[in-house]
Amino acid sequence: MHTNEFDEHHVLQELMHFLPAQTPLKDFIHHNSLHALQHLKFYDAIFTGAAIFGFQPTFNLNEYRNLYKSGRIRPEVLAQILEQRKGRANVGIWTSKLLTQQYEPTPDPRVGRLRMGWKAAFHLNLDNLVQPLLFRILCSYLDQGIAIKHFPYENEGLLNAVRILETNSYSSFFNTKSAQKLLLDPNISLPDLLNRVVGDSALYEQYLYDQQFSHRGWSGMVATIEAQPDSILYSKKIALKDLIMLELVMEIDALNTALGEDWLPLAQRYPMAPIDLFAPSPRTEREEVLSLWQDAFEWNYYDEVLVGLKHLNASGPRTEPQQDHGFQAIFCIDERECSFRRHTEAVAPHCATFGCPGFFGVEFYFQPENGKFYEKLCPAPVTPKYLIKEHNVAQKRKNALLYNKKTHTFLEGFFWSLSLGLVAAVQLVVNIFNPKKHPAFADSFTHMSITGELQVENISPDDRENGWQVGFTVPEMATRVEALLRGIGMIDHFAPLVYVMAHGSSSANNPHQGAYNCGACSGRPGAVNARVFAFMANHPKVRAILAANGLVIPDSTHFVGAMHDTASDVVVFYDEHKIAEAGLAAHREHKLTFEKALDMNAKERSRRFASINTKQDIKKIREDIRKRSVSLFEPRPEFGHGTNALCFVGNRNLTKGLFLDRRAFMNSYDYRTDPDGALLLGVMRPLPPVCGGINLEYYFSRVDNQKMGAGTKLPHNVMGLIGVANSSDGDLRPGLPLQTVEVHDPVRLMILVEHDPEVVLRTIQSDPALYEWFANEWVHLLAIRPKTGAFYYFKNGTFELYEPLGTQTRFANDVLELIESAKEMETSHITDSTLENLPVHIINEASL
Amino acid sequence: MSQLLPLFVLIPLVGLILSAFPTNKQEKLLFGTAITVIGLHFLTMIGFTASWIGEGFPDVHYQGPTLYHNNTTTFSIDLFFDRITMVYGLVSVILTFLVSVFSRYYMHREKGFKRFFNNLLLFYLGINCIIFSGNFETLFVGWEIIGVASFFLIAFYRERYLPVKNALKVVSLYRLADIGMLLAIWMCHHAFEKSITFFELHNLQAHHAAIIEQPAFQLIIPLVFLLVAAIKSAQLPFSSWLPRAMEGPTTSSAIFYGSLSVHMGVFLLLRTYPFWENNHVFQAIVIALGFATSIVATAISRVQSSVKTQIAYSSVAQIGIIFMEVGLGLEALALFHFACNAFLRTYQLLVSPSVLNYLMHDQFFHFTPPQHDNKDRFWGKIKLTLYVLSVKEWNLDGLMYRWLWQPLKRVGQWFQFIPDRWLTVFLWPVFAAGLYMVYHKEQVPDGIEHNLPAVFGAIGLVAALRAFTERNNAQAAWFLVIVNQLFTSLSIAFNEQFGFDQIHLFLSGIIVFGAVGFACLRQLKKAGESINLDRFHGHSYEHPRLSVVFLVASLGLSGFPVSPTFIGEDLILGHIHHNQYLLTGITALSLILDGLGVFRMYARVFLGPHEKNYHEVAYRSS
Repeated sequence: MHTNEFDEHHVLQELMHFLPAQTPLKDFIHHNSLHALQHLKFYDAIFTGAAIFGFQPTFNLNEYRNLYKSGRIRPEVLAQILEQRKGRANVGIWTSKLLTQQYEPTPDPRVGRLRMGWKAAFHLNLDNLVQPLLFRILCSYLDQGIAIKHFPYENEGLLNAVRILETNSYSSFFNTKSAQKLLLDPNISLPDLLNRVVGDSALYEQYLYDQQFSHRGWSGMVATIEAQPDSILYSKKIALKDLIMLELVMEIDALNTALGEDWLPLAQRYPMAPIDLFAPSPRTEREEVLSLWQDAFEWNYYDEVLVGLKHLNASGPRTEPQQDHGFQAIFCIDERECSFRRHTEAVAPHCATFGCPGFFGVEFYFQPENGKFYEKLCPAPVTPKYLIKEHNVAQKRKNALLYNKKTHTFLEGFFWSLSLGLVAAVQLVVNIFNPKKHPAFADSFTHMSITGELQVENISPDDRENGWQVGFTVPEMATRVEALLRGIGMIDHFAPLVYVMAHGSSSANNPHQGAYNCGACSGRPGAVNARVFAFMANHPKVRAILAANGLVIPDSTHFVGAMHDTASDVVVFYDEHKIAEAGLAAHREHKLTFEKALDMNAKERSRRFASINTKQDIKKIREDIRKRSVSLFEPRPEFGHGTNALCFVGNRNLTKGLFLDRRAFMNSYDYRTDPDGALLLGVMRPLPPVCGGINLEYYFSRVDNQKMGAGTKLPHNVMGLIGVANSSDGDLRPGLPLQTVEVHDPVRLMILVEHDPEVVLRTIQSDPALYEWFANEWVHLLAIRPKTGAFYYFKNGTFELYEPLGTQTRFANDVLELIESAKEMETSHITDSTLENLPVHIINEASL
Repeated sequence: MSQLLPLFVLIPLVGLILSAFPTNKQEKLLFGTAITVIGLHFLTMIGFTASWIGEGFPDVHYQGPTLYHNNTTTFSIDLFFDRITMVYGLVSVILTFLVSVFSRYYMHREKGFKRFFNNLLLFYLGINCIIFSGNFETLFVGWEIIGVASFFLIAFYRERYLPVKNALKVVSLYRLADIGMLLAIWMCHHAFEKSITFFELHNLQAHHAAIIEQPAFQLIIPLVFLLVAAIKSAQLPFSSWLPRAMEGPTTSSAIFYGSLSVHMGVFLLLRTYPFWENNHVFQAIVIALGFATSIVATAISRVQSSVKTQIAYSSVAQIGIIFMEVGLGLEALALFHFACNAFLRTYQLLVSPSVLNYLMHDQFFHFTPPQHDNKDRFWGKIKLTLYVLSVKEWNLDGLMYRWLWQPLKRVGQWFQFIPDRWLTVFLWPVFAAGLYMVYHKEQVPDGIEHNLPAVFGAIGLVAALRAFTERNNAQAAWFLVIVNQLFTSLSIAFNEQFGFDQIHLFLSGIIVFGAVGFACLRQLKKAGESINLDRFHGHSYEHPRLSVVFLVASLGLSGFPVSPTFIGEDLILGHIHHNQYLLTGITALSLILDGLGVFRMYARVFLGPHEKNYHEVAYRSS
């Protein structure tokens, strides 16, 4: 049999597309875990994906039913969903289906069926025979710096490097000479190997999917590094094809060893008609029922939010005329800043806060002083042309004695273990009873030195490095500053001090710490961006250009870069010496304001932490929160983006006074400065990939934490500094760990835009990629008509008026009292965990 | 002073019992129990050590209750305290205390929070049984307890495939070590004609010089002890189990496999040192083994690209050096080295997740691409060879399978041709006839009687082999284990100094636990669940209670110290004469196999990924 119908290139491309796309863990970039099916409608995609790959696309029926019983899904919401989707006449039938009908379990996934033949026909567990060594070779090859002795010839490509080892060493990875010979044959091709193993070209594609998805973590990592070689620092040449060929040869070797050399290919011993893995699967009634439940679960929350919004804006738009402010602060849209902003406003009623993606519109690579590599500081899809370099760093980076690799060597290991053993004991006692900062922990403030200097302005066009321009020219700066300020509607009434507040996250013992950093900065702290933006906005020549364009920033206004650590609740300000003498007193006062707001923020966060008593003295809480971020034993320094559900695009006044429990991304945008929506596209374009990506990653990691998430992080073992696995022989675990997502209610993101629905529709229609997100229902979209406050939900290509169902609104006099009343979940099971999320409350104006 | 010694075993025991009562959600209560118990243990230890130092480091011996006694055998719980006990006791209590505190928030809201603290205390009980043991029997009790606790800790994430698989892998080796231990005890027994206490060991050379100079004693007994120690301390060729044991939460990996459990082999060597302190040949063997292990483990550790595996092999390498120190008679150095290595590795494992951040950062500022070995020169080729070998872990893992388990499986498969039905039909009459003959020995001709033990033992062994390799019917396998036990006891019954009470003791356990196990399997079947042994079913997900009951039955049947079967196990070997090598071999192999068979059965039926896919189940490879 030879191969006509097997299109190698096409199959490899598709395979790479379907494999998990998580990059090595040093950068954690959130993305839709099911990006490969994003061209389908949400429910079609998740159920098709489940039929192909066998993950749980939603909660199971019992879980939804328990949510219904516990009141977390309200009957009226369910009834409305059923009425909309099934017609009024059928509500009764479907209600009983949802509540009582039993359904057959799902069949085995399509991927994996062919390779079951090895066990059925040969009584062989091929995975057990091949995977442990394959993973070891692969991990050693890709290793970034755990091993003392590195994989030789890693610049030759995986297959060639193994060939060099096989040719030049007196030992071999293979048991049989014939397998080794196959590998060493320079003319061997993928179809040749498949022919030997599978034997029927019609099954090749299916076999490759079965094989690669039996270890989707490693295959995904290889595919990702092949596509983005710069996602690792120590560069390794690798291709998915190399991995597949090596694996096939290892399979042949294992089969030779177990069965002798004359075994028949799989297709002859286990004949099977090829199946179309990607055939659309007709929606079963069970799936329909699940999708109805999920809709009800989501709308139960959205409706609550809309009721609150309606109440707040009942008396017309609350967008009061802008006034002069004590100070202004621009935060990241990140939903974790939602509470910080609320508390800051509560402490200083005369301040104004804004939100925008946390790279502040400045995209560049960053090189710390003495750094041998560069770090990208902007959203992942953007490719910057600029480089920002750091100079004059005073302090030196400390080393961690006990991380010394010499403890792993023979003689030195002997002396090190004898001398360090007792040090380790002492260190352990200190770490447990009095957690402190340690050079080995991730500290967001060491990303860039606090006292060092940045070269932001380009000196000459010839000042280039690695193909990038060092620094920005004045016009380039002006473009960026203007775009950002106009986008968030900050065009007049500038306060004397404007804080540009980035965020980052510090944690100890946390390989996933990148997931807690700023998503708009490729999973890194955003301090450099805040500082760079402040520099640009303070630049007199930039201001001159802006003034010429009609955007006048008064001389008395000064921008200050700062960063908020979302885990330790610490804020650090940069370049304070540049604040004019006259502003210093005010700055000191504002710092106190932020301090107070941080205390309150820490208290609000502490309600979810078992180790902290929320009712104790607020300063003690703050100290406990800080300690948490440096505690080795704390797998939850914070909950990252857990609970995210909303994304507001509009004026802060739209939501001011609404307690959203840190569940909303908030992007400032003022429809009044942009009546035709000319700026809206620029504002909206990054939201679905960034916020929607975060939201969907949390969704999938939550509903199937085992297959789509990384499982509990407690047994994780760091592999090659690129990922984590559970076991020494296990597959990599992409996705988010349980401790990050357990607080999350998996609802899709709803973007709420404060503008006329006609304008919003025109805007999203102008960008097909953007439009796809909403049309395929991966992200919900709702427009709020500014004049009337009416809600328009985007469905099937048009905006339809939506009247909130709920009538009850909850009121709270004091947020902190509300917080104290919250209960902590008993287990991380959804029926328990969802109860920890507080309902939407209106905060009484008096206490604002 | 010696009257205080039982506290060191009783405190953990009480803690273990108390920790059974709170529910999984009562985290504070569970943690409180554990930390109070361990804290109390710590204080007792400090107080005891202080007064022990005050009295000038005497060897303290406590003669405990006799569990079983007749004219040939004494099984008593004896305790002992000397400086080895002191160092091991202190290190383990400090580490367990710290790791418990660490686990309080680390394990927060974990599904197995309670299971974790139960297992921690079980393990702690076992380790203290070993450390404070005053004779081999007591040590063996501890040995068995930590074996089972290890199984639970490795298979902590029982709903995934790899932890369960690796737990079986490790526990199989542990079982081998346990039975090795039993054999060693048996040999000592015959050599000294009594149960020897550690207190007496110090004067061994003076009192028993004649025995020690016997050839059996010169090599065989120490070698068996060395085998046991090598398995427990992951020395060559058994090293590969250690990284595979690191499947549980990082804290349990850190304390047990990073430090305490893995140093138990060293403890055994230190304890048995008086047996061979003048035996230079054996000392050379210990040194050579330690040296070889440290070289190989270092080579492997150098190429490991996953953090925990790297630490595991570095630890093994240091333990190899500790073996050398023991071989050289440097007891104090060995003890110090043990303490340091235990603390260091525990710490390294606990902080292992932060390695990613630290080394990435380090690399960012200090990276220099490494040089390649010259592949055209001889020395370069040697280096490449070493690299390939070490990535493959010197084939150690495959070696275990190929030379240890696969042959047993092969032999077991030979006997698969006998249908289950035949077995039942055939075995009962044979057993009945055997039983008749035991009670009426006078009617059996001498020539036949002489061979009967081996015949019945062999039948039992065949049953054990079949149970070990049974692929289909769990009930049949369970039945075969019982058959094995029955025939083994029958074979012993033909040895002369036979006391019916002993056999009854042994059988009472078998029958009760056998019946309970059967009932569990029946109930599962009645509930419509599949219980064939071809795959893991993960029934503990839907039948958690049944799983616990079956577990207890399994432990009872396999002779874990919860049942009289345990004492019986010890007695059985005690009844074999020192020249009945065949019978010894058969019986030991039977004991190993039925233990493995039972663990395998429990794992296949109740552990692993749940077969129903209406809820989250991890991928097999993860």
